[in-house]
Amino acid sequence: MDVLTNVFHGFGVALLPVNLLYCFIGVFIGTLVGVLPGIGPISAMSLLLPVTLSGTPESGIIMMAGIYYGSMYGGSTTSILVNIPGEAASVVTCLDGHQMAKQGRAGPALGISALGSFIAGTFALIALMLVAPKLASVAIAFGPAEYFSLMVLGLVVLTFLTQGSMAKALLMACIGIVLGLVGLDSITAQPRLTFGRIELIDGIGLVPVVMGLFGLAEVLINTEQAIKRDVINAKITQLLPNKDDWKRSAGPIGRGTLMGFFLGILPGGGAVVASFASYALEKRLSKTPERFGHGAIEGVAGPEAANNAAAGGAFIPLMTLGIPPNVVMALLLGAFVIHGLQPGPLLITQNPGLFWGIVASMYIGNAMLLVLNLPLIGMWVKLLKLPYNVLFPLIVLFTIIGVYCSSNNVFDVYVMIAFGIIGYFMRKFGYEPAPLVLAFVLGPLLENNLRKSLILSQGDLMTFVERPISAACLVLAAILLIVPMLPSLRRKRELVALDEGA
Amino acid sequence: MSSTTRPPFRLNNSEFWTGVIGLGLGVFVIRSGLKLKLGTINDPGSGFMLFYLGLLMCAFAVSIILASVTEGGPTFGSRWEDVRWSKPVLIIACLIAYAFALEPLGFLIATIPLILLLLRIIDPVRWTLAVPLAVLAPVGVWWVLKHGLSIMLPTGTFEIG
Repeated sequence: MDVLTNVFHGFGVALLPVNLLYCFIGVFIGTLVGVLPGIGPISAMSLLLPVTLSGTPESGIIMMAGIYYGSMYGGSTTSILVNIPGEAASVVTCLDGHQMAKQGRAGPALGISALGSFIAGTFALIALMLVAPKLASVAIAFGPAEYFSLMVLGLVVLTFLTQGSMAKALLMACIGIVLGLVGLDSITAQPRLTFGRIELIDGIGLVPVVMGLFGLAEVLINTEQAIKRDVINAKITQLLPNKDDWKRSAGPIGRGTLMGFFLGILPGGGAVVASFASYALEKRLSKTPERFGHGAIEGVAGPEAANNAAAGGAFIPLMTLGIPPNVVMALLLGAFVIHGLQPGPLLITQNPGLFWGIVASMYIGNAMLLVLNLPLIGMWVKLLKLPYNVLFPLIVLFTIIGVYCSSNNVFDVYVMIAFGIIGYFMRKFGYEPAPLVLAFVLGPLLENNLRKSLILSQGDLMTFVERPISAACLVLAAILLIVPMLPSLRRKRELVALDEGA
Repeated sequence: MSSTTRPPFRLNNSEFWTGVIGLGLGVFVIRSGLKLKLGTINDPGSGFMLFYLGLLMCAFAVSIILASVTEGGPTFGSRWEDVRWSKPVLIIACLIAYAFALEPLGFLIATIPLILLLLRIIDPVRWTLAVPLAVLAPVGVWWVLKHGLSIMLPTGTFEIG
């Protein structure tokens, strides 16, 4: 009954005209960046992070969340029609989605993708409503040791899943923490790594770092190659899947939803992992696995449901524990912090309007996305033809403006340009920026909880292993660190390792 | 039984040099941690976390260096093979010049040439489109920010904007 009351309260907040507008802007931009290859939700969210300053916390966070789950919808359109993934979670949709389009079945592929995403998104939201308050009440009992260990686990999982060498990913995570510690020490107020620059006393801003590493670096990398697109030009008709399509897709959507939701909750996991896992599962369960890769609708329905369910599930650790499970959620945490809010176990009780408003808006946003992605598909197809040589300079302009507006400080523009150049070279040499950004956000929290636990336990390191949740997290983290050293498991890791930041 | 031969170590191995940079950063972080005082395990100081992070960084960097020596790695040149490397280099040069010009020249005078250059560098947009776009986009953004959101962009010594 409590949940229903809260849901009604949430809809009251989400249905305010201003919040509806922000929600629409969020899902629209999300679909847009999902459709346009080369620009992911991380770049778009980092670009719009400063915009959240202008409205209420609800409006800003509703918009940011909309960009994230909107991009999951939009990404599939490009995968199906152009065979280029709009964002990383739609990579796997290319395999069968584009084959369906080539066989003249682009309509059902787009239809099942949007409808499967809607079903999964709805399930994830209902689960979020039921699970989050319960987990938040448990999380109140978490001490600094549990928080520290959970964050360590989150970082290790992300480095484990990052493409390429794990040592490089771990090095990036360490650098991210160091960058996060720049500025005044929160306990002793001593300046650290500020090099005498007054601009660094408050630390390095999240906006210039993320915009540089993901926005600017993305442009630099993309200009290295002429982007060629092979857009399916045939008129898209009959978007609704037929009875046989539904029969084939029902199971994959159900399994993809459940798997995606749970993978989304896990720290370091997320939509990309979920979509690949769902595809692998469906291929394994299929009586005709040879159809996969040649236009099997199950290969579209399962992964698309999984990535949307994961996007919903990823909100749980952020909202209930205050720990972002992936980079996108780290940006959302940044949006909370900009508004002076701290997500965590007390958020739901202290700010019920905010929490339930965001959840309700996500439901409304899912319905908006269904309309945006089915009847308006023609508009997105036209957009796929937008020239990149015009788009990239405009992205550079918006990154400069976005960074300047977030702090009214030219120094941040320099920081952004520096991180853009660093981000470009990092990618060239196989160093992924995702662990760096997540660690950058978690760094101060990690240090704070480590120092608090050591002070509270009077220097007894056993405090991290005597507490069961903390011990479990550390054991899991240790296993993930050891696994890549075993040659057979190393090969398996390389198969599932993904570029989260793309 | 297949015999595996170790690839010869080449000095232009990019993995090796990025590992060396990582090691240098690690040493720097250790030194910074020591300077800031480590404190005790009961009461960690400001440099405590930095010191141990520096040690971890050195460990990971050494592992990258060792892997580059034992397994080999791509050369610097191969990282830019078959790509239009001149494009990002030119864009980076433009951005660095822009960073130096932004404060003294102001937003409008510095940004209009930047956008024009980018429009012509990436995949040249025809002049008839590039010039109006390079002028209208920054001016439009400046106008919206100044009049709509009351945000002042840098005006520079000429106080334009």
